[in-house]
Amino acid sequence: MFPSGRRLDRATALFISLLAVGFLVATFDVRASGESATGVLRDGVQAVAEPVQKGIDVVVRPVVGFIDGISNIAGLREQNERLTAEVTRLEQRLRETAALERRVDELEAINDVEAPEDLPTITARIYSAGVSTFDEVRFIDKGSSDGVIDGQAVMDESGLIGRIDLVTRSSARVRLITDPLVSVGVRIQDTNQTGAVTGQGSELLRLDMFDASEPVREDAIVLTDGSRFPPGIVVGFVNETKAANVGFALRTTVDPSAEFSTLDFVKVVIGWSPLDADPETGDSLVDAPTFTDPGTVRE
Amino acid sequence: MRSAKILIALGFVVVAVLLQTTVFQHFHPFGYAPALGVLAVIAVGRLVDAEPALFVAFTGGFVQDLLGGAPLGLWASSLTVVAFVTFKVRDREIAGPIAVLAGVFGLSILGLLTFAVLGTLFGQSIINRPGFLGHLIVPAALNTMLAYPVFWAAQVLLRPSERTWVA
Repeated sequence: MFPSGRRLDRATALFISLLAVGFLVATFDVRASGESATGVLRDGVQAVAEPVQKGIDVVVRPVVGFIDGISNIAGLREQNERLTAEVTRLEQRLRETAALERRVDELEAINDVEAPEDLPTITARIYSAGVSTFDEVRFIDKGSSDGVIDGQAVMDESGLIGRIDLVTRSSARVRLITDPLVSVGVRIQDTNQTGAVTGQGSELLRLDMFDASEPVREDAIVLTDGSRFPPGIVVGFVNETKAANVGFALRTTVDPSAEFSTLDFVKVVIGWSPLDADPETGDSLVDAPTFTDPGTVRE
Repeated sequence: MRSAKILIALGFVVVAVLLQTTVFQHFHPFGYAPALGVLAVIAVGRLVDAEPALFVAFTGGFVQDLLGGAPLGLWASSLTVVAFVTFKVRDREIAGPIAVLAGVFGLSILGLLTFAVLGTLFGQSIINRPGFLGHLIVPAALNTMLAYPVFWAAQVLLRPSERTWVA
Protein backbone atom coordinates (compact mmCIF):
# COMPACT_ATOMS: atom_id res chain seq x y z
CA MET A 1 0.00 0.00 0.00
CA PHE A 2 2.89 2.38 0.74
CA PRO A 3 5.69 3.14 -1.71
CA SER A 4 8.44 2.18 0.72
CA GLY A 5 9.10 1.84 4.41
CA ARG A 6 11.58 4.70 4.37
CA ARG A 7 9.12 7.03 2.65
CA LEU A 8 6.44 6.13 5.15
CA ASP A 9 8.79 6.98 7.97
CA ARG A 10 9.54 10.40 6.53
CA ALA A 11 5.86 11.09 5.97
CA THR A 12 4.95 9.97 9.47
CA ALA A 13 7.72 12.05 11.00
CA LEU A 14 6.55 15.11 9.05
CA PHE A 15 2.95 14.38 10.03
CA ILE A 16 3.80 14.24 13.73
CA SER A 17 5.96 17.36 13.46
CA LEU A 18 3.20 19.34 11.77
CA LEU A 19 0.67 18.21 14.37
CA ALA A 20 3.03 19.35 17.11
CA VAL A 21 3.45 22.72 15.40
CA GLY A 22 -0.33 23.02 15.04
CA PHE A 23 -0.83 22.36 18.76
CA LEU A 24 1.89 24.84 19.68
CA VAL A 25 0.39 27.54 17.47
CA ALA A 26 -3.09 26.90 18.85
CA THR A 27 -1.82 27.05 22.43
CA PHE A 28 0.08 30.24 21.71
CA ASP A 29 -2.94 31.83 20.01
CA VAL A 30 -5.31 30.91 22.84
CA ARG A 31 -2.86 32.18 25.46
CA ALA A 32 -2.33 35.40 23.52
CA SER A 33 -6.12 35.81 23.04
CA GLY A 34 -5.65 36.82 19.42
CA GLU A 35 -3.18 39.59 20.29
CA SER A 36 0.55 39.80 19.48
CA ALA A 37 2.00 38.08 16.43
CA THR A 38 -0.99 35.88 15.70
CA GLY A 39 -3.29 38.89 15.72
CA VAL A 40 -1.03 40.78 13.34
CA LEU A 41 -0.84 37.73 11.07
CA ARG A 42 -4.61 37.34 11.10
CA ASP A 43 -5.10 41.03 10.31
CA GLY A 44 -2.65 40.79 7.41
CA VAL A 45 -4.28 37.74 5.84
CA GLN A 46 -7.74 39.24 6.32
CA ALA A 47 -6.58 42.39 4.56
CA VAL A 48 -5.14 40.38 1.65
CA ALA A 49 -8.16 38.08 1.34
CA GLU A 50 -10.75 40.83 1.72
CA PRO A 51 -10.68 42.21 -1.86
CA VAL A 52 -10.68 38.68 -3.28
CA GLN A 53 -13.62 37.66 -1.11
CA LYS A 54 -15.50 40.85 -1.98
CA GLY A 55 -14.84 40.23 -5.68
CA ILE A 56 -16.11 36.65 -5.49
CA ASP A 57 -19.08 37.83 -3.45
CA VAL A 58 -20.04 40.43 -6.06
CA VAL A 59 -20.01 37.77 -8.80
CA VAL A 60 -21.62 35.00 -6.80
CA ARG A 61 -24.34 36.93 -4.96
CA PRO A 62 -26.76 37.42 -7.90
CA VAL A 63 -26.16 33.93 -9.28
CA VAL A 64 -26.77 32.24 -5.95
CA GLY A 65 -29.79 34.47 -5.39
CA PHE A 66 -31.26 33.38 -8.70
CA ILE A 67 -30.64 29.68 -8.02
CA ASP A 68 -31.91 30.04 -4.49
CA GLY A 69 -35.06 31.72 -5.77
CA ILE A 70 -35.80 28.88 -8.17
CA SER A 71 -35.18 26.23 -5.55
CA ASN A 72 -37.49 28.04 -3.16
CA ILE A 73 -40.51 28.11 -5.48
CA ALA A 74 -41.63 24.68 -4.31
CA GLY A 75 -41.63 25.82 -0.72
CA LEU A 76 -43.44 29.10 -1.32
CA ARG A 77 -46.93 27.76 -0.60
CA GLU A 78 -45.92 26.38 2.76
CA GLN A 79 -44.00 29.55 3.50
CA ASN A 80 -47.05 31.63 2.60
CA GLU A 81 -49.22 29.74 5.06
CA ARG A 82 -46.59 30.07 7.75
CA LEU A 83 -46.22 33.80 7.10
CA THR A 84 -49.98 34.31 7.26
CA ALA A 85 -50.02 32.73 10.70
CA GLU A 86 -47.00 34.79 11.62
CA VAL A 87 -48.72 38.02 10.51
CA THR A 88 -51.70 37.21 12.71
CA ARG A 89 -49.40 36.61 15.64
CA LEU A 90 -47.43 39.79 14.96
CA GLU A 91 -50.59 41.87 14.69
CA GLN A 92 -51.50 40.68 18.15
CA ARG A 93 -48.02 41.54 19.37
CA LEU A 94 -48.21 44.94 17.67
CA ARG A 95 -51.31 45.78 19.66
CA GLU A 96 -49.50 44.79 22.84
CA THR A 97 -46.42 46.72 21.77
CA ALA A 98 -48.38 49.89 21.12
CA ALA A 99 -49.38 49.97 24.75
CA LEU A 100 -45.82 49.28 25.82
CA GLU A 101 -44.47 52.01 23.53
CA ARG A 102 -46.67 54.57 25.17
CA ARG A 103 -45.33 53.44 28.54
CA VAL A 104 -41.74 53.57 27.26
CA ASP A 105 -42.28 57.08 25.87
CA GLU A 106 -43.45 58.21 29.25
CA LEU A 107 -40.51 56.56 31.00
CA GLU A 108 -38.01 57.97 28.53
CA ALA A 109 -39.42 61.42 29.00
CA ILE A 110 -39.05 61.03 32.73
CA ASN A 111 -35.64 59.41 32.81
CA ASP A 112 -34.19 60.87 29.63
CA VAL A 113 -33.13 57.36 28.57
CA GLU A 114 -32.14 57.04 24.97
CA ALA A 115 -33.54 54.12 23.00
CA PRO A 116 -31.02 52.04 21.06
CA GLU A 117 -32.36 53.50 17.83
CA ASP A 118 -30.95 56.85 18.87
CA LEU A 119 -27.40 55.58 18.96
CA PRO A 120 -25.23 56.43 15.97
CA THR A 121 -24.73 53.50 13.67
CA ILE A 122 -23.00 52.77 10.41
CA THR A 123 -24.37 50.49 7.77
CA ALA A 124 -22.15 47.65 6.63
CA ARG A 125 -22.52 44.75 4.27
CA ILE A 126 -21.55 41.16 4.96
CA TYR A 127 -19.17 39.87 2.34
CA SER A 128 -17.90 36.66 3.87
CA ALA A 129 -18.90 33.92 6.27
CA GLY A 130 -16.87 31.59 8.44
CA VAL A 131 -14.78 28.77 7.04
CA SER A 132 -17.03 25.97 8.24
CA THR A 133 -20.44 25.28 9.69
CA PHE A 134 -18.84 25.38 13.14
CA ASP A 135 -17.72 28.95 12.56
CA GLU A 136 -20.34 31.40 13.87
CA VAL A 137 -18.74 34.52 12.40
CA ARG A 138 -19.35 36.96 9.54
CA PHE A 139 -17.10 39.56 7.97
CA ILE A 140 -18.32 43.09 7.20
CA ASP A 141 -16.93 45.70 4.83
CA LYS A 142 -16.39 48.39 7.45
CA GLY A 143 -13.35 48.63 9.69
CA SER A 144 -11.36 50.90 11.96
CA SER A 145 -11.27 53.68 9.35
CA ASP A 146 -15.06 53.85 9.65
CA GLY A 147 -15.03 54.00 13.44
CA VAL A 148 -15.53 50.30 14.11
CA ILE A 149 -13.80 49.05 17.24
CA ASP A 150 -13.63 45.78 19.12
CA GLY A 151 -16.70 44.98 21.22
CA GLN A 152 -19.28 47.06 19.37
CA ALA A 153 -22.75 45.64 18.89
CA VAL A 154 -23.99 44.63 15.44
CA MET A 155 -27.67 44.48 14.63
CA ASP A 156 -30.06 44.40 11.73
CA GLU A 157 -33.66 45.51 11.40
CA SER A 158 -34.88 42.50 13.39
CA GLY A 159 -32.48 42.66 16.31
CA LEU A 160 -29.08 41.81 17.70
CA ILE A 161 -26.67 39.92 15.45
CA GLY A 162 -23.44 39.80 17.42
CA ARG A 163 -20.41 41.81 18.39
CA ILE A 164 -17.24 42.92 16.69
CA ASP A 165 -14.28 40.81 17.78
CA LEU A 166 -11.62 41.56 15.17
CA VAL A 167 -11.01 44.78 13.27
CA THR A 168 -8.78 45.64 10.35
CA ARG A 169 -8.62 49.00 8.61
CA SER A 170 -11.42 48.26 6.15
CA SER A 171 -13.16 45.17 7.49
CA ALA A 172 -14.23 43.59 10.74
CA ARG A 173 -15.26 40.21 12.05
CA VAL A 174 -18.62 39.80 13.75
CA ARG A 175 -19.00 36.96 16.22
CA LEU A 176 -22.65 35.98 16.09
CA ILE A 177 -24.74 35.58 19.23
CA THR A 178 -25.24 31.94 18.20
CA ASP A 179 -21.56 31.29 19.01
CA PRO A 180 -21.14 29.45 22.34
CA LEU A 181 -18.39 31.93 23.21
CA VAL A 182 -20.85 34.84 23.15
CA SER A 183 -23.00 35.61 26.16
CA VAL A 184 -25.53 38.45 26.22
CA GLY A 185 -26.95 40.02 29.35
CA VAL A 186 -30.70 40.24 28.80
CA ARG A 187 -33.97 41.10 30.45
CA ILE A 188 -37.45 39.82 29.71
CA GLN A 189 -39.57 42.70 28.49
CA ASP A 190 -42.82 41.89 30.26
CA THR A 191 -41.38 40.93 33.66
CA ASN A 192 -38.10 42.88 33.61
CA GLN A 193 -36.28 39.87 35.04
CA THR A 194 -32.65 39.58 33.97
CA GLY A 195 -30.58 36.67 32.77
CA ALA A 196 -27.97 35.65 30.25
CA VAL A 197 -28.44 34.34 26.74
CA THR A 198 -25.67 32.13 25.39
CA GLY A 199 -25.16 30.79 21.89
CA GLN A 200 -25.31 27.06 21.32
CA GLY A 201 -23.95 26.90 17.79
CA SER A 202 -27.45 26.21 16.55
CA GLU A 203 -30.61 28.12 15.74
CA LEU A 204 -31.76 28.38 19.36
CA LEU A 205 -30.04 30.33 22.11
CA ARG A 206 -29.94 29.24 25.75
CA LEU A 207 -31.46 31.52 28.38
CA ASP A 208 -30.30 31.17 31.99
CA MET A 209 -31.95 33.13 34.79
CA PHE A 210 -30.42 32.61 38.19
CA ASP A 211 -32.80 34.56 40.37
CA ALA A 212 -36.09 34.32 38.50
CA SER A 213 -39.13 34.79 40.67
CA GLU A 214 -41.73 34.63 37.90
CA PRO A 215 -42.14 32.23 34.99
CA VAL A 216 -41.09 33.25 31.51
CA ARG A 217 -43.79 32.71 28.95
CA GLU A 218 -43.47 31.58 25.37
CA ASP A 219 -43.00 34.42 22.86
CA ALA A 220 -41.93 36.90 25.55
CA ILE A 221 -39.56 39.46 24.07
CA VAL A 222 -35.94 39.21 25.22
CA LEU A 223 -33.96 42.47 25.17
CA THR A 224 -30.35 43.37 25.89
CA ASP A 225 -29.93 44.72 29.41
CA GLY A 226 -27.11 47.15 28.66
CA SER A 227 -24.34 45.27 30.45
CA ARG A 228 -22.41 44.15 27.39
CA PHE A 229 -24.52 45.50 24.54
CA PRO A 230 -26.55 48.71 24.25
CA PRO A 231 -29.76 48.34 26.23
CA GLY A 232 -33.09 47.61 24.61
CA ILE A 233 -32.04 45.74 21.48
CA VAL A 234 -34.29 42.77 20.69
CA VAL A 235 -32.37 39.50 21.03
CA GLY A 236 -35.24 37.11 20.39
CA PHE A 237 -38.37 35.50 21.73
CA VAL A 238 -38.71 32.90 24.45
CA ASN A 239 -39.22 29.57 22.75
CA GLU A 240 -40.73 27.61 25.61
CA THR A 241 -42.59 28.62 28.77
CA LYS A 242 -40.69 27.74 31.92
CA ALA A 243 -41.67 28.16 35.54
CA ALA A 244 -39.34 29.55 38.16
CA ASN A 245 -38.34 27.23 40.99
CA VAL A 246 -37.00 28.87 44.09
CA GLY A 247 -33.34 27.97 44.56
CA PHE A 248 -32.90 26.70 41.02
CA ALA A 249 -31.82 28.47 37.88
CA LEU A 250 -34.46 28.84 35.22
CA ARG A 251 -33.26 27.56 31.89
CA THR A 252 -35.09 27.72 28.58
CA THR A 253 -34.38 28.52 24.95
CA VAL A 254 -34.73 31.68 22.92
CA ASP A 255 -35.53 31.92 19.24
CA PRO A 256 -33.27 34.70 17.90
CA SER A 257 -35.10 37.51 16.14
CA ALA A 258 -32.45 37.73 13.42
CA GLU A 259 -32.36 35.30 10.52
CA PHE A 260 -28.67 34.47 10.39
CA SER A 261 -28.72 32.50 7.15
CA THR A 262 -29.93 35.50 5.14
CA LEU A 263 -27.90 38.31 6.65
CA ASP A 264 -26.90 40.99 4.18
CA PHE A 265 -26.83 44.58 5.44
CA VAL A 266 -26.21 45.16 9.12
CA LYS A 267 -25.67 48.12 11.41
CA VAL A 268 -22.75 48.58 13.75
CA VAL A 269 -23.59 50.61 16.82
CA ILE A 270 -20.53 52.85 16.95
CA GLY A 271 -21.69 55.21 19.67
CA TRP A 272 -21.77 52.73 22.50
CA SER A 273 -19.21 50.46 24.01
CA PRO A 274 -19.45 48.42 27.20
CA LEU A 275 -16.22 50.04 28.34
CA ASP A 276 -17.90 53.42 28.06
CA ALA A 277 -21.18 52.42 29.61
CA ASP A 278 -22.57 53.61 32.87
CA PRO A 279 -22.57 50.51 35.09
CA GLU A 280 -25.93 51.45 36.54
CA THR A 281 -27.94 52.42 33.49
CA GLY A 282 -25.96 51.07 30.56
CA ASP A 283 -26.04 54.52 28.97
CA SER A 284 -23.06 55.71 26.98
CA LEU A 285 -20.73 57.99 28.90
CA VAL A 286 -18.86 59.27 25.85
CA ASP A 287 -19.83 60.90 22.61
CA ALA A 288 -19.70 59.06 19.34
CA PRO A 289 -16.39 59.13 17.40
CA THR A 290 -15.75 62.49 15.78
CA PHE A 291 -14.88 61.29 12.26
CA THR A 292 -17.21 62.10 9.42
CA ASP A 293 -18.55 59.32 7.30
CA PRO A 294 -21.32 59.53 4.68
CA GLY A 295 -22.58 56.12 5.74
CA THR A 296 -23.14 57.25 9.30
CA VAL A 297 -26.78 57.54 10.18
CA ARG A 298 -28.56 58.73 13.24
CA GLU A 299 -32.03 57.34 13.40
CA MET B 1 7.74 16.96 -6.89
CA ARG B 2 8.28 20.33 -8.48
CA SER B 3 7.71 23.34 -6.29
CA ALA B 4 5.41 24.88 -8.91
CA LYS B 5 3.03 21.97 -8.50
CA ILE B 6 3.08 22.34 -4.73
CA LEU B 7 2.18 26.00 -5.12
CA ILE B 8 -0.64 25.11 -7.51
CA ALA B 9 -1.92 22.55 -5.01
CA LEU B 10 -1.74 25.12 -2.23
CA GLY B 11 -3.53 27.66 -4.41
CA PHE B 12 -6.20 25.06 -5.10
CA VAL B 13 -6.86 24.59 -1.37
CA VAL B 14 -6.83 28.34 -0.69
CA VAL B 15 -9.31 28.99 -3.51
CA ALA B 16 -11.54 26.28 -2.07
CA VAL B 17 -11.44 28.03 1.31
CA LEU B 18 -12.24 31.41 -0.28
CA LEU B 19 -15.18 29.88 -2.14
CA GLN B 20 -16.34 28.33 1.11
CA THR B 21 -16.43 31.74 2.82
CA THR B 22 -18.20 33.49 -0.05
CA VAL B 23 -20.40 31.14 -2.09
CA PHE B 24 -21.70 29.21 0.86
CA GLN B 25 -22.60 32.22 2.96
CA HIS B 26 -25.54 32.64 0.55
CA PHE B 27 -26.22 29.07 -0.48
CA HIS B 28 -27.07 26.60 2.27
CA PRO B 29 -28.23 23.23 0.96
CA PHE B 30 -30.26 21.63 3.77
CA GLY B 31 -29.21 24.51 6.01
CA TYR B 32 -25.56 23.50 5.97
CA ALA B 33 -22.48 24.11 3.86
CA PRO B 34 -19.93 21.61 2.57
CA ALA B 35 -16.39 21.59 3.92
CA LEU B 36 -14.60 22.59 0.74
CA GLY B 37 -11.22 22.95 2.42
CA VAL B 38 -11.37 19.35 3.58
CA LEU B 39 -12.50 18.19 0.15
CA ALA B 40 -9.70 20.09 -1.59
CA VAL B 41 -7.13 18.49 0.72
CA ILE B 42 -8.55 15.04 -0.05
CA ALA B 43 -8.32 15.82 -3.77
CA VAL B 44 -4.70 16.96 -3.44
CA GLY B 45 -3.85 14.01 -1.19
CA ARG B 46 -5.00 11.59 -3.90
CA LEU B 47 -2.65 13.05 -6.47
CA VAL B 48 0.60 14.16 -4.86
CA ASP B 49 3.26 12.57 -2.71
CA ALA B 50 2.89 12.37 1.04
CA GLU B 51 5.25 15.17 2.10
CA PRO B 52 3.93 17.79 -0.33
CA ALA B 53 0.36 16.77 0.52
CA LEU B 54 1.05 17.22 4.24
CA PHE B 55 2.72 20.58 3.63
CA VAL B 56 -0.17 21.79 1.45
CA ALA B 57 -2.75 20.56 3.97
CA PHE B 58 -1.04 22.24 6.90
CA THR B 59 -0.48 25.53 5.09
CA GLY B 60 -3.96 25.54 3.56
CA GLY B 61 -5.43 24.75 6.96
CA PHE B 62 -3.44 27.58 8.48
CA VAL B 63 -4.90 29.99 5.91
CA GLN B 64 -8.33 28.61 6.77
CA ASP B 65 -7.59 29.29 10.45
CA LEU B 66 -6.56 32.84 9.63
CA LEU B 67 -9.80 33.45 7.72
CA GLY B 68 -12.03 31.89 10.37
CA GLY B 69 -12.94 32.49 13.96
CA ALA B 70 -11.26 29.60 15.75
CA PRO B 71 -7.76 29.64 17.30
CA LEU B 72 -4.93 29.30 14.81
CA GLY B 73 -3.60 25.81 14.18
CA LEU B 74 -6.83 23.87 14.60
CA TRP B 75 -7.76 23.59 10.93
CA ALA B 76 -4.07 23.23 10.07
CA SER B 77 -3.84 20.16 12.32
CA SER B 78 -7.20 18.78 11.16
CA LEU B 79 -6.39 19.06 7.47
CA THR B 80 -2.95 17.54 8.11
CA VAL B 81 -4.68 14.51 9.64
CA VAL B 82 -6.98 14.30 6.59
CA ALA B 83 -4.03 14.48 4.18
CA PHE B 84 -2.12 11.81 6.06
CA VAL B 85 -5.04 9.38 6.18
CA THR B 86 -5.89 10.13 2.53
CA PHE B 87 -2.35 9.20 1.58
CA LYS B 88 -2.63 5.99 3.56
CA VAL B 89 -5.90 4.85 2.02
CA ARG B 90 -5.66 6.28 -1.49
CA ASP B 91 -4.44 3.11 -3.14
CA ARG B 92 -7.67 1.39 -2.13
CA GLU B 93 -9.59 3.55 -4.60
CA ILE B 94 -9.16 0.74 -7.06
CA ALA B 95 -12.36 -0.71 -5.60
CA GLY B 96 -14.37 1.76 -7.68
CA PRO B 97 -16.37 4.96 -7.48
CA ILE B 98 -18.54 3.84 -4.57
CA ALA B 99 -15.43 3.23 -2.50
CA VAL B 100 -14.09 6.63 -3.53
CA LEU B 101 -17.29 8.36 -2.45
CA ALA B 102 -17.41 6.37 0.78
CA GLY B 103 -13.81 7.38 1.34
CA VAL B 104 -14.61 11.06 0.78
CA PHE B 105 -17.52 10.81 3.20
CA GLY B 106 -15.37 9.11 5.85
CA LEU B 107 -12.43 11.44 5.41
CA SER B 108 -14.71 14.49 5.58
CA ILE B 109 -16.19 13.18 8.82
CA LEU B 110 -12.66 12.59 10.08
CA GLY B 111 -11.57 16.15 9.25
CA LEU B 112 -14.63 17.76 10.81
CA LEU B 113 -14.51 15.49 13.86
CA THR B 114 -10.81 16.20 14.39
CA PHE B 115 -11.52 19.92 14.23
CA ALA B 116 -14.45 19.51 16.63
CA VAL B 117 -12.35 17.55 19.14
CA LEU B 118 -9.41 19.96 18.93
CA GLY B 119 -11.74 22.96 19.05
CA THR B 120 -13.42 21.62 22.17
CA LEU B 121 -10.03 20.98 23.76
CA PHE B 122 -9.12 24.59 23.03
CA GLY B 123 -12.34 26.00 24.52
CA GLN B 124 -14.59 26.35 21.47
CA SER B 125 -17.50 24.25 22.86
CA ILE B 126 -18.14 22.44 19.59
CA ILE B 127 -18.93 18.85 20.53
CA ASN B 128 -21.64 19.72 23.04
CA ARG B 129 -23.59 21.87 20.57
CA PRO B 130 -27.14 20.79 19.78
CA GLY B 131 -27.30 19.19 16.34
CA PHE B 132 -23.59 18.44 16.38
CA LEU B 133 -24.01 15.24 14.37
CA GLY B 134 -25.78 17.21 11.64
CA HIS B 135 -22.77 19.49 11.43
CA LEU B 136 -20.65 16.41 10.74
CA ILE B 137 -22.87 14.30 8.53
CA VAL B 138 -24.51 16.86 6.22
CA PRO B 139 -21.31 18.70 5.21
CA ALA B 140 -19.65 15.30 4.68
CA ALA B 141 -22.59 14.24 2.48
CA LEU B 142 -22.35 17.51 0.53
CA ASN B 143 -18.62 16.91 0.11
CA THR B 144 -19.43 13.48 -1.32
CA MET B 145 -21.80 15.07 -3.84
CA LEU B 146 -19.14 17.59 -4.87
CA ALA B 147 -16.28 15.09 -4.87
CA TYR B 148 -16.04 14.28 -8.56
CA PRO B 149 -16.15 17.89 -9.85
CA VAL B 150 -13.47 18.86 -7.32
CA PHE B 151 -11.38 15.78 -8.14
CA TRP B 152 -11.65 16.61 -11.82
CA ALA B 153 -10.46 20.18 -11.19
CA ALA B 154 -7.55 18.91 -9.09
CA GLN B 155 -6.67 16.38 -11.77
CA VAL B 156 -6.62 19.06 -14.45
CA LEU B 157 -4.43 21.35 -12.35
CA LEU B 158 -2.03 18.84 -10.86
CA ARG B 159 -1.59 16.28 -13.62
CA PRO B 160 -1.60 18.28 -16.84
CA SER B 161 0.96 15.97 -18.45
CA GLU B 162 -1.59 13.17 -18.57
CA ARG B 163 -3.84 15.26 -20.78
CA THR B 164 -1.24 15.89 -23.48
CA TRP B 165 -0.76 13.88 -26.67
CA VAL B 166 2.91 13.31 -25.96
CA ALA B 167 2.92 12.04 -22.41
